[in-house]
Amino acid sequence: MKKGSKGWVTLVGMLAAMQVVLAACSSGGNNGTNAAAENGNTTGVNTGAAVTELTLWHMEEPPNRVARFKEIVDGFNAANPDIKITAQVQSWGDAYSKFPAAIQAGNGPDLLFTIPDYTTLIKELGVVQPVDDIIESLNAAHKFQASSLAPYQYEDHTWAVPVFGMVQALWYRGDLLSAAGIQPPTTWDELKSAAEALTSGNKYGIALPASKSMATDQVLYSFLVTAGAKNILSGDNTVTFDNEKTVEAYQMYSDLLKFSPPDSNTYQWGEPQAQFNAGTAAMAIEKGQYLSTFEAESGRPASDLGVVPMPVADGGEAGSIYYSNGIMVLTDDANKKAAITKFFEYLFEPETYGSFVNAEPGLFLPVTEDGGQADSFWNDPVISKYKSQVEVLIEAASKGALFGFTDGVSSKIGKVAGPNYIAQTLEQMTSKGLSAADAVKWGQAQIEAAVK
Amino acid sequence: MKAVRYLFGILIIFLIVFPFYWVIVSSLKPADQILKPDLFPKALTLQHYRELLDQTSYLTNLSNSVLVALGTMLCSVLIVIPAGYAIYRMKFAGRKFVSRLILATYIFPGTLLLVPVYQMMSDLHLVNSLWGLIVINVTFAAPFSVWLMQGFFDSVPVALDEAAAIDGAGRMRTLLQIILPLIGPGIATISIYSFITSWTEFAFSSVLITSEELRTLPIGLNAIMGQYTVRWGWTTAGAVLTLLPVVVFFAFVGRFFVRGLTAGAVK
Repeated sequence: MKKGSKGWVTLVGMLAAMQVVLAACSSGGNNGTNAAAENGNTTGVNTGAAVTELTLWHMEEPPNRVARFKEIVDGFNAANPDIKITAQVQSWGDAYSKFPAAIQAGNGPDLLFTIPDYTTLIKELGVVQPVDDIIESLNAAHKFQASSLAPYQYEDHTWAVPVFGMVQALWYRGDLLSAAGIQPPTTWDELKSAAEALTSGNKYGIALPASKSMATDQVLYSFLVTAGAKNILSGDNTVTFDNEKTVEAYQMYSDLLKFSPPDSNTYQWGEPQAQFNAGTAAMAIEKGQYLSTFEAESGRPASDLGVVPMPVADGGEAGSIYYSNGIMVLTDDANKKAAITKFFEYLFEPETYGSFVNAEPGLFLPVTEDGGQADSFWNDPVISKYKSQVEVLIEAASKGALFGFTDGVSSKIGKVAGPNYIAQTLEQMTSKGLSAADAVKWGQAQIEAAVK
Repeated sequence: MKAVRYLFGILIIFLIVFPFYWVIVSSLKPADQILKPDLFPKALTLQHYRELLDQTSYLTNLSNSVLVALGTMLCSVLIVIPAGYAIYRMKFAGRKFVSRLILATYIFPGTLLLVPVYQMMSDLHLVNSLWGLIVINVTFAAPFSVWLMQGFFDSVPVALDEAAAIDGAGRMRTLLQIILPLIGPGIATISIYSFITSWTEFAFSSVLITSEELRTLPIGLNAIMGQYTVRWGWTTAGAVLTLLPVVVFFAFVGRFFVRGLTAGAVK
């Protein structure tokens, strides 16, 4: 061999060695699940018996939720040796770009977590299977909450199995309201007065998100609901956003922002909760995630965490944003569908279901009647500590609504939710100085263009 | 005048150091103090670090990040040095065009490439694999690194190549035994650059990795944040522990990087 070629041999050798090491590392963590992840139609063999393998993608990333979902899936796998479900955690951030690409490339999962507007988007890919038969048997056994099912029922089918619900309410710091001699507000007028009275110096009456985000979309929509303007987009995609009540809702939100911290226009989910727990803000409008961190982060007893239903406008209606998260079935393989049916039967058994829902106590609410009464739900340490607060949330859930699903089901709602047009309408007021009426006109035009 | 300069210097240092100080201090505050804007903590705790290591996949994410970053670094160096040598030391048709074309790869915003890259990597069976991440990170780090090496190759006299050729050395031997020892700082520079590019890469890691066991640190930390909730203690502790390896790495070889960025600026 020539001396000059020794270098090349060295280089090639190093590359080959590194590839072997990395290939080993890459497959090491998978335990053979890669194939299942990358192939929607795998049937593995385990201890000589045919095993139906399923991949489930969920987007609940915090470690406590990942661990609890894994526990549930492991329990099911142990009880059903002929089925193996592999749960893989994904990110909502990738849901609109990566998932469709993965599904079209044949790397999608068999089961995919979803929310109502996301279902309408994925359904366009032609892979979402109706789950009517699964719903029918589950409903007979466990009785679904109507509001959890409705957003998934259109075109003569049900397109996802709802698994847990989320609802917004008004959280308040009992210690701060008591000190100011203020009762928890039940109307918009009371809410505005309380927010104003509780604002002084670097203390604020309320913490509201005002960024271009889903967090802002949702809190704003709770105001639309209580204003009596919940129908913004009908089943035939007619836009009814621009009306007097919507304008009132935006005006109210804008007024309340005066009593919210000055950096509210950067807030999404976490910041209002941080201000609330720090005692910087006395009220916030959000879902049940406020339970689990309150004592630790505020240093206050659980009794100081108060919650009431969303305050209502004069002439408005009681309610707030509510939506269920569901699971879509993306496989039409008969064996897999049978296995999936078994999985749902296992999941909704009350002793399993309560534990599943308490992956994030308070944030995830039961969507079945017997699930809402299950000991496995109420015996959770967080839920039992905040029992009265959870009861308020469950009651609020029965009056919940979701934009795009209140007047039939809009097939184009994803095109409104994705760009956050509800939040962008507020930005027209906060950044560009438009009046509420002009901002809502702008929003109507944007939504009309989006759903055209 | 001197006092103004000192004041200005202190202000700049404060602006750079304070965010680090704040994150570190926050990570050491008890949970009920972390959200309070106290400049100096009333009490210190390692609780968030313990929970981060016990209750999250931080260590798995860390080992994945280390593997991917080192793999990216090694691959980049192995590709960039011969490529740089060819482009900046050899004569062939279209050499200048190729050297300019390399930088043109950066005209595409990364997010535009997410879906096509996913489909391409899927066809190559490189989805959900650390090797796939290394490949993609190298494609981002290598072009800039090649361009960065120009100054280092230019700083080595061509006469050395000619002398080696007279003595009978081939191209490869010249590169390995003559040029390579003289461009050590350049190799350090591109090593650091590719390591950090890989260490902080988020978008493609998020898209290409589907299983939790193969997640890298940026993805793992993002998961800790959650969609509706933020665990501030875990987030700040995670940020500190993520910064630490890079800070240590830079402490040893950072001076090469600074030198590398300015190499060739003065002839």
